[in-house]
Amino acid sequence: MEEVELFKNGKRYDGRTVEELRHVKIKAHVLNDADGSAYLEWGNNKIIVGVYGPKECIPRHLASPYGAVVKCIYNMSPFSSLGEHGRSGPSRRSRELSMVIGQVFENVIEREKFPKAAIEIFVDVLQGDGGTRCAAVTAASVALADAGIPMKDMVSAVAVGKVKDTVVIDLDYVEDSQGQADCAIAFANRNKEVLLLQMEGEMSKEDMQKAFELASIAQERLHQLQVEALKEVYMHINEGDAFVDI
Amino acid sequence: MEDEIIMPGTQIADKPLRLSYGHVENEKTYSTVLGLKREDKLIPLKGIYEPRFGDYIIGVVSEVKFSGYDIEMKTPYPAFVPDRMLREKLDHGEVIFAKVMNVNEIGELDLGQVKVLKKGRIIEVPAVKIPRVIGRDNSMITLIRESTDCSIFVGKNGFVWISEKGNSALAISAIRKIVREAHTSGLTDKMQEYLKNSN
Repeated sequence: MEEVELFKNGKRYDGRTVEELRHVKIKAHVLNDADGSAYLEWGNNKIIVGVYGPKECIPRHLASPYGAVVKCIYNMSPFSSLGEHGRSGPSRRSRELSMVIGQVFENVIEREKFPKAAIEIFVDVLQGDGGTRCAAVTAASVALADAGIPMKDMVSAVAVGKVKDTVVIDLDYVEDSQGQADCAIAFANRNKEVLLLQMEGEMSKEDMQKAFELASIAQERLHQLQVEALKEVYMHINEGDAFVDI
Repeated sequence: MEDEIIMPGTQIADKPLRLSYGHVENEKTYSTVLGLKREDKLIPLKGIYEPRFGDYIIGVVSEVKFSGYDIEMKTPYPAFVPDRMLREKLDHGEVIFAKVMNVNEIGELDLGQVKVLKKGRIIEVPAVKIPRVIGRDNSMITLIRESTDCSIFVGKNGFVWISEKGNSALAISAIRKIVREAHTSGLTDKMQEYLKNSN
């Protein structure tokens, strides 16, 4: 890939400032046949999430008598990006992301209410441009709330990192691959608990503190967008039209 | 007054309350679902049915077993009716109205007081809206029954059974209207008007 000037005159290569997020748009309840769903556009990322459950846990040996298990399947569509991602089928990367996204929500869902059941989160990346795991967590939280699955808190996530010795927020694919560090952070909204922290590259302690401050400001903004998306659905509430034929 | 829409994790009260869709942490109560806040009360707009002893439910026979029947009723695990609770044999696909006799600690159900429902249809409504479909002291459901001449059974699990006898199309559209407007007040009067105009 062509090298670009990542940071120049206080602006990043795409014209954003250090603490500026890409444009985020969230829409809840987009699928009729999922229990809950959400569609999210975050810069060039396009993600759709469907949630099912609680339902019977299959295979049965994975079920726990202490609470529901949270199963997440993260998948990148074949057309989602250039480069090595986007081949069909599970890869090492998508297996890892499935695991970490599932673990984020195991912390907030009231799992003990539904023993031996499973809650399924399907994340499909239609277009990826860096920061898809954060986008997936943010969208999945909306989908879970839409499904009515009891949660202690809502979750939103954002990436922070370092390009050209500057701490920046919400790195896209170019900044991620050519920068010095990239760190995904997921926060619980109410008590600002950190539910996910994954870093690539190197950052000093001071940089990390700066990054955390930036991330917690962005988190408030993301939570607001999530709430707006869910309120939007409530305004046009039109459900109960579904007939079941059993 | 417009009710405030609240999200999972929003504080409802600064004292611990026992709510079915609440979560207590550090002596404070938070909502766990999307809902409305009305004077310290939480009206859930979304939620999952949790079976309790004494609930009446509607289910469909999904499996005939040696000593009873499995009943599908939109819970994570199928409920079970033992043979000894029944006077007659059931068939795969039959619809029953029954009482929850026992819920164990992992959510498995035993049903009893079974009544078989024949010649009708099931509509599915969100379980959190069922109290509105029934109304205070059965007012709403009695109103629909009387204006449509249908026999209607409401299961706490979110299934509503409507007999084919009577004006079942009107009954279905009335129930859908209740579900759509479940959060508004004065609904029984509104429904009275609606059913009178449609008849």
